[in-house]
Amino acid sequence: MVHPATSVPPSGTALPDGGTPATVTPMPTVGTGTPTPRRRPRTPASWVRNGGLSTLVIALPLVLVFGLFSWYPIVRAVVMSFQHTNLVQPAEWVGLDNFTYVLADPMLATAITNTLYFAVLALIFGYPIPLVAAVLMSEVRRAKGMYSALAYLPVVVPPVVAVLLWKTFYDASESGLFNTILGWVGLGPYPWLQDPSTAMPSLVLVATWSAAGGTVIIYLAALTGVAPELYDAAEVDGAGVWRKIWHVTLPQLRGILFITFILQIIGTAQVFTEPYLLTGGGPASSTTTILLMIYNYAFGGRGDYGAATALSIMLAVVLAILSAVYFKLTAKWSD
Amino acid sequence: MKSTRRTTALALAGALSLSATLAACSSDDGEGVTAAEAEEMSDEPVTIQVAIDEGLEEGAVEAINTRVDEFESEHPNVTVETQEYTWVGTTFAADLAGGTLPDVFTVPFTDGRGLIEREQIADISGLVAELPYSGEFNENVAVAGEAPDGGMWAVPIAAYGQGLHYNRSLFTEAGLDPDSPPTTWDEVRDAAATISEETGATGYAQMTASNTGGWILTTMVYAMGGRAETVDAETVTATIDTPEYHQALEYLQQMRWDDDSMGDEFLHDWGTSHADFGAGKIGMFISGGGDYGNLVTQNAMNPDDYGVTVLPLEGDDGAVLGGGTLAAVNAKATDAEQAAAVEWIDFFYMEKLTDPDAAVADARAVADQGQPVGAPILPVFDQATYDESQEWIADYINVPLEQFAPYSDNIYDQPLQPEPPASTQDLYAALDPVVQAVLTDENADVDALLADAEANVQNLIDRG
Amino acid sequence: MPTTAPVDRRRATPPADRGLVSASDRRRRSVRATWRTSHVGLLAGLVVVGLGPILWLAKSAVTPTQDTLRTPMALFPNGVDWANLSEAWVRFEIDHYFFNTLWLALGSWFMQLLVAATGGYVLSVLRPRYAKVLTALVLSTLFVPAVVLLVPLYLTVLDVPFANVSLINSFWAVWLPAGANAFNVLLVKRFFDNLPAEVFEAARVDGAGPFRVGWSIVLPMSKPILGVVSVFAFILAWKDFLWPLLVLRDVSKQPLSVRLPALENYVELDVFLAALAISTVIPIAIFLVFQKAFLSGAGMSGAVKG
Repeated sequence: MVHPATSVPPSGTALPDGGTPATVTPMPTVGTGTPTPRRRPRTPASWVRNGGLSTLVIALPLVLVFGLFSWYPIVRAVVMSFQHTNLVQPAEWVGLDNFTYVLADPMLATAITNTLYFAVLALIFGYPIPLVAAVLMSEVRRAKGMYSALAYLPVVVPPVVAVLLWKTFYDASESGLFNTILGWVGLGPYPWLQDPSTAMPSLVLVATWSAAGGTVIIYLAALTGVAPELYDAAEVDGAGVWRKIWHVTLPQLRGILFITFILQIIGTAQVFTEPYLLTGGGPASSTTTILLMIYNYAFGGRGDYGAATALSIMLAVVLAILSAVYFKLTAKWSD
Repeated sequence: MKSTRRTTALALAGALSLSATLAACSSDDGEGVTAAEAEEMSDEPVTIQVAIDEGLEEGAVEAINTRVDEFESEHPNVTVETQEYTWVGTTFAADLAGGTLPDVFTVPFTDGRGLIEREQIADISGLVAELPYSGEFNENVAVAGEAPDGGMWAVPIAAYGQGLHYNRSLFTEAGLDPDSPPTTWDEVRDAAATISEETGATGYAQMTASNTGGWILTTMVYAMGGRAETVDAETVTATIDTPEYHQALEYLQQMRWDDDSMGDEFLHDWGTSHADFGAGKIGMFISGGGDYGNLVTQNAMNPDDYGVTVLPLEGDDGAVLGGGTLAAVNAKATDAEQAAAVEWIDFFYMEKLTDPDAAVADARAVADQGQPVGAPILPVFDQATYDESQEWIADYINVPLEQFAPYSDNIYDQPLQPEPPASTQDLYAALDPVVQAVLTDENADVDALLADAEANVQNLIDRG
Repeated sequence: MPTTAPVDRRRATPPADRGLVSASDRRRRSVRATWRTSHVGLLAGLVVVGLGPILWLAKSAVTPTQDTLRTPMALFPNGVDWANLSEAWVRFEIDHYFFNTLWLALGSWFMQLLVAATGGYVLSVLRPRYAKVLTALVLSTLFVPAVVLLVPLYLTVLDVPFANVSLINSFWAVWLPAGANAFNVLLVKRFFDNLPAEVFEAARVDGAGPFRVGWSIVLPMSKPILGVVSVFAFILAWKDFLWPLLVLRDVSKQPLSVRLPALENYVELDVFLAALAISTVIPIAIFLVFQKAFLSGAGMSGAVKG
């Protein structure tokens, strides 16, 4: 699972712009700070005298970097989705052709299903366990730091190393690491990556291993924020440990649980490293995700940049809707 | 398709040798370029980047560097920089679009047509035409690098016909005779089952990933008498949903699910299949007939274990799929760079095929390095030139030729058929998941898979 | 801010002796037993899952290939092969690729800090007339997932508008786009929004220009937030795979994350695992040294979001 919390700003694929909704923080609306009295410059000279020029200079890094590497590419993505281009011959306007082509591509349904399947599995594997671990760890009194460090250790292993290491664990022969261990209790051998039905869970397992530690730490931080008075109050009502978990801890974590949920879904839509390195999208397309499909359109031999951007834009619209929902909800809670 | 690594291995072998010898001859004439040579050369200083194989051992890189020094002293105005590069179907487009390819790089035959059509490589046909051997290429081979008007934009540096590689010691261990390898598909299947049963190794392995799935499946289909595309004037029709494709997939299905003779790994690409075969984990697999160099030098295969034979051909149209490697020049290269690049192609790849002294020097040094010399390959020129070049180096041949006999005695009699002409790599890529499905899902529906694949490929061909 | 965070803020130092389980709970035998069992389970689980794979990697790094393939769980059945490590070091040139990784991360970190600090300063403190438009534009990029930019950003880097240069195979291709991180800018902007405006006003009245105010007043005050941004920026850059894979095609420029998979096919398994182990030791060492910063950074990312 590409748990966003682990690589904040957590664009699932670690693209450099980091501008995923996954990185979003509920922001106070523009200009909520105390209004400063403004002296409006009237002439160019007074503008310079009042620091207008200096301000502009200080704004330059932002304007240049965002202009060239964020705003311009966004506009270009929209333009390119209506074009055929191979970067050699001049681009040709083709209307909605790229969109109809992508929508008719039989791989699209597969990729969407696979991506959703990844998301569901990532929630099953990566949601409850960190929560349980965090609740337990929050009660540890001695060597708390050691527990956190142990939980966080896999997050520190570079994702590519983790994926390549697990690839050897998944050796499908009887002497593969996992098959050896399972063999001790009379299970297996399992095909792991070599079977369309187990390949995706295997992928999600690696991703979860790499990311769950970050989730644990987030929950842990949130748990320290639960007011002790609430527990005191519950005890006055005669609540035991389980009832306290159910009636105090979980409701207090509600917000963060919901947010990690949405962020995880947004992050999942951008899964790339695991399928690219472990299975190349196989076997039989069972691990081809949407981002892998975009990559294949653009860089996998065809150089079909039109189809790639068209699919990107459709994905973006869906994700933007999700992030808008996210904003709306977090904003509502902020009030 | 993926013969690049093989050819680079061969080229490397050449590099190892020539560098040593030429360095010796040239040490005293480093500055003494003859008047005639000087005249030919432009004085304009020019720098070219040339491809060398990825992941080479230090010694091999050193050898190429010496070879580069040698070239530079012959062409004082040229500076040669090496750049690691290996053609891989899934990253080549990014390299091409990124403009990061070296000035001289190699591509499989399958890519020549599209690159030329879209003018994504430099038109070096004028320069190539001046090479002394430019008219002597084998027709079938030359066409891969030619534009419709016949100009040669990319130089064929090696050709291959698919073969069935097998591990002789696994054959022996399984009680099979390594000197009489299977000659029909049924015998291949039986041998795979026996090897798997008797030795525990993978009886027969199939490449399935990074476009190799479609490549090898189509190879089997060719051998069983089918074709992947039919070309009628301007229209290309995908012919995937055919009895031959069914036959090939059902054949794999039986080996995988009835005999369980195909091991545990079903996501093999070119690299992993060769690594596993070199490590003795695989009894038989299909790949280019000239892969011996790669297997021995890069995958540490024991030469005594190596065996290769021709593919069984069936029906009237049964043919062996053949391809090869082209050396091409970056479209962005200037005139001077193009001229230097063609000089390099001539020097690095071609000289040893055409010039007796160069060939002998090459063979001697390669042998000195303990590298294989004389493994049979398909001729880039005509048969006679090839036979002649083999004679030049007869004294240095150090590969166990008799172990190649089942292949080399028969390959020249097999009808060679070029790869599907249109959108070749797309076609291969579309078939990867089909082969993977058959090998990893016991209930895979071959009919549906092939019908879908045909529609898919046709769509890709039409989109261009 | 929803739920937990405000609570957190009100009680800056929650009493350390009070959590979910009360002292009286602890006195009850059944609770104590369950709690103790689950903690043993927790510790065992954390060791096996968190540490296990890493220890296995350490073991296999010095085990011959055949032993790892045949008996992956056996402990050195045929002795230790230390040569793997040196071969990995030489063959993989780990030091070279490590410095590439480090250099990439440092550059990305610097760009993110520069853009976030100056941008936040302009948008929050200086607030020129165009600040509203700029803020809206920056904010809007938060809604555009990174994947949408994959192809157009790649093409932009191929041929940067106005400059007409290709950044492919240059570290700038990673550094510059890394700067366009709206999350960082808005994080810093929000931090500045909460600083007392009187300080800047006073300085301005004293005749200090934007540079002076920025350098000697705002920058020193913003150390905490820049620390947070730094942790995020560095981790993100360290983990990057797809983007450097696309833009750094020249092998000598690639970071470890791109180089390791490419070499998988060319070396024997034992040497490859040794290379993986070496590549893991470095970040783990950094983590152990800066453990506090990492963990509070990771925890804060939740608090910030919450």
